[in-house]
Amino acid sequence: MNLDVLGLFDNDYDTEGFRTCSVTGLKIHRSAENYVKLFGLTAVVALLVGGIFAFTVAMTRWEVVGLLQPSDFYIHLSLHAWNLLIFWMVFMEIAILYVGGPMVLGRRLPITRVAQTGYVSMVLGALVINVSIFLTSPPDTAPLLTAYAPLQSPPAFYAGVILFIVGAVVAALPFFLTLWRERREYPNRSLPLVAFGAFVTSIIAVEALVGGLITFVVTFLWRIDLIQWMDAAWYRQMYWTIGHGTQQINLAAMVTVWYFLTHVVGGAEVISEKVSRTAFILYLFFINLGAAHHLMSDPAVSVGWRIFNTSYAFYGAAFASMIHAFAIPAGLEAGRRKRGKGGGTFGWLTNAPWANPVFSATIFSIILFGFLGGITGVVMGQMQVNMTWHNTFATVGHFHGTVAVGTTLAFMGLVFFVVRTMFQRRLSFGRMASLQPFFYAGAMGIVVIMMMYVGILYGVPRRTAEIVRNIPGTEFSLQAASPLFAIFGVFAILAITAGTIFVVVAVASLLIGDRVTGPEDNADLVPDGGAATDDKPVHAYEMRGTFLICLVFMAVFIGSYVINWYVLTELWSVGV
Amino acid sequence: MLRSAWNDLLSVYYANTMIWRLLKTAALVFLGFFCWTGANLVLSYRSDWGFLYYVMAYGFALLFWGPFTHLVVVPTIIRFRRSGKGGVRNVLARHGSKANITVFLLLVLVLGSLPLGVMTFEFQVPAGDGESTNINPQLQCTQSGDVIHCHLSDSRGIDSVVVSTSGKTLEEIEEPPFDFDVNVNDIETINGDRQFTVELRDENGDTIRRYIRRVDLIPGDSSEVIADMSVMT
Repeated sequence: MNLDVLGLFDNDYDTEGFRTCSVTGLKIHRSAENYVKLFGLTAVVALLVGGIFAFTVAMTRWEVVGLLQPSDFYIHLSLHAWNLLIFWMVFMEIAILYVGGPMVLGRRLPITRVAQTGYVSMVLGALVINVSIFLTSPPDTAPLLTAYAPLQSPPAFYAGVILFIVGAVVAALPFFLTLWRERREYPNRSLPLVAFGAFVTSIIAVEALVGGLITFVVTFLWRIDLIQWMDAAWYRQMYWTIGHGTQQINLAAMVTVWYFLTHVVGGAEVISEKVSRTAFILYLFFINLGAAHHLMSDPAVSVGWRIFNTSYAFYGAAFASMIHAFAIPAGLEAGRRKRGKGGGTFGWLTNAPWANPVFSATIFSIILFGFLGGITGVVMGQMQVNMTWHNTFATVGHFHGTVAVGTTLAFMGLVFFVVRTMFQRRLSFGRMASLQPFFYAGAMGIVVIMMMYVGILYGVPRRTAEIVRNIPGTEFSLQAASPLFAIFGVFAILAITAGTIFVVVAVASLLIGDRVTGPEDNADLVPDGGAATDDKPVHAYEMRGTFLICLVFMAVFIGSYVINWYVLTELWSVGV
Repeated sequence: MLRSAWNDLLSVYYANTMIWRLLKTAALVFLGFFCWTGANLVLSYRSDWGFLYYVMAYGFALLFWGPFTHLVVVPTIIRFRRSGKGGVRNVLARHGSKANITVFLLLVLVLGSLPLGVMTFEFQVPAGDGESTNINPQLQCTQSGDVIHCHLSDSRGIDSVVVSTSGKTLEEIEEPPFDFDVNVNDIETINGDRQFTVELRDENGDTIRRYIRRVDLIPGDSSEVIADMSVMT
């Protein structure tokens, strides 16, 4: 297949189709690079579409504007969610698999026809899903991400989902084949950490996607009347293997990107390969069990099931995240100190290349994911506290903390990196590109905080078009939440503007950006202080800055924990 | 160790690169929101914990004073120190930070003692603004042969009633007492059940209450509704 469009797929390769990246030093084959570009570009298109609906949704929930009627709101919300939570993420994740597999291992992408088939199937599935949601009419309902049977959505929607999931699984096959061939060729060589992270991500992905396939095939058959009856409890159990599982793919992929970009751009070292790999293994066993928190109010699951999933198993995943939360900044601190970029307790952080959007997006992703998405995830994931969060706007705040600032920022950084190193284009609007991660992280961070506050403080529900001004037929009013909704609305506009700037910079760089002519054009992507370091072990360097940051993190964690439990005890009037 | 911690704190306070200014500003805004809303929340349960007004005031003031301090005050003081000039500049360079913190703490004390309305959230469920009415009549339906007859227990505050099935309007009644009849054969099947929707609307056409009725559950010889399946929009 000739992929060369607008000169975007025309790097200089040797006769065998390989080239050496001047930034990472990786040996990259044309096949892998082209498919990374293709999936990455498609992901940005999905981001654009989802971002448009982010505007209509946010301006509806900010009732001073009240843009949409309730009958239209859920359709827009569904389009927003599917394009951003699924399409933007999964297209990027397939690209990450191709980076973590063939690129990191210096191999060509095998069975490219299969990758192509997977891509076409995913794109068709995404189109069918978008159109079917847009054309939803009664008695069908727009699905959002929980088209709980026996609520029904258009048959085309289920067909589109099946097409998309099958496409994603098929697109992952070349990655698995790459690893299989690598192991056969080098049975005694361990995978690099990034490839290992991508491998764990892929296993979690396939688990989630196959679970989703089982769910949606059966539901599709029910919807076209080949199956007469659906068990609602079965649907909910099965649905959440993909409904929450896809977000766990995001998490594992995001952590892999953190390790990759902090190393390449910031000069981070891996403090302990074994510990980091163990943390990934813990994800493998425990992270998908986080889905249990969606079923806490269901009658069909036993007490033992609830307690195991939201306590014992849950800690396995939280512990793994804690390991990464220490290992990555510690690696950055040690790596920069090795290069003589220490400078006191926090100098390694503040003298880092913040003007480089690849670096700043990655670091803001780590910070905001930890403080906003991670802490709240652990707090609301507990069986007891979950009751005060679930189905309030605070839950929406939590997953915007994980996905909209955490994963999206990491992926934005990765897109900028791909534009620079694979499309070989300098970033257009240099100053604006540098500030974009700051702008997006700041605005979206406040949006997320406001979502959580109106949910926790007032119990404002999620998924409704109007709530503050009036719940029809009652005296009950959440008018008092209006000031926080005003902050939410203003910063939502700012965040969407920042997202628009990202798309403009990325697309303009590809279309009109100056071409990278030599390694000097990408010199700022190599760690300041040089790629090479001394031979002293990484533990010879102190990491007190990271230690202090972790103490602050723990203090916020404990504060959130205590206040949530306090509110819960007051709810039942058992008193503290 | 304490000396080292104090020195670290001072070095962070006076760190003056652009990224440090932004990081400190963002962290203080974050802390400000946390203290402001958290204190309001706990205060809604423990109204006797008066000290929470000062936590609230601290958080609220921090939202503005934190960015002001680290984007304006600290850089200005450092510039004055480096200029080496005497007079007012010298005084500000030597005592500006202390004055800034003093003003901030005084502001917190004043706001904590005399909290502004905008600082304190209203957590109580409002008792109504005196104009709104609680419109919540019972919809009572009975079935006789193929005809279902429905009426409302109270028609005050209602401008019109719209009866629909599967998105298709069957009846629109604009006069009280809003009684209506529906033929069972006109009602469409949704998810295996024949059901219809009754919306009560105000003079602006906004829905004030919505009911869904399943034909199977409507009694044939009683004015009582077996199951109230009303749902709110």
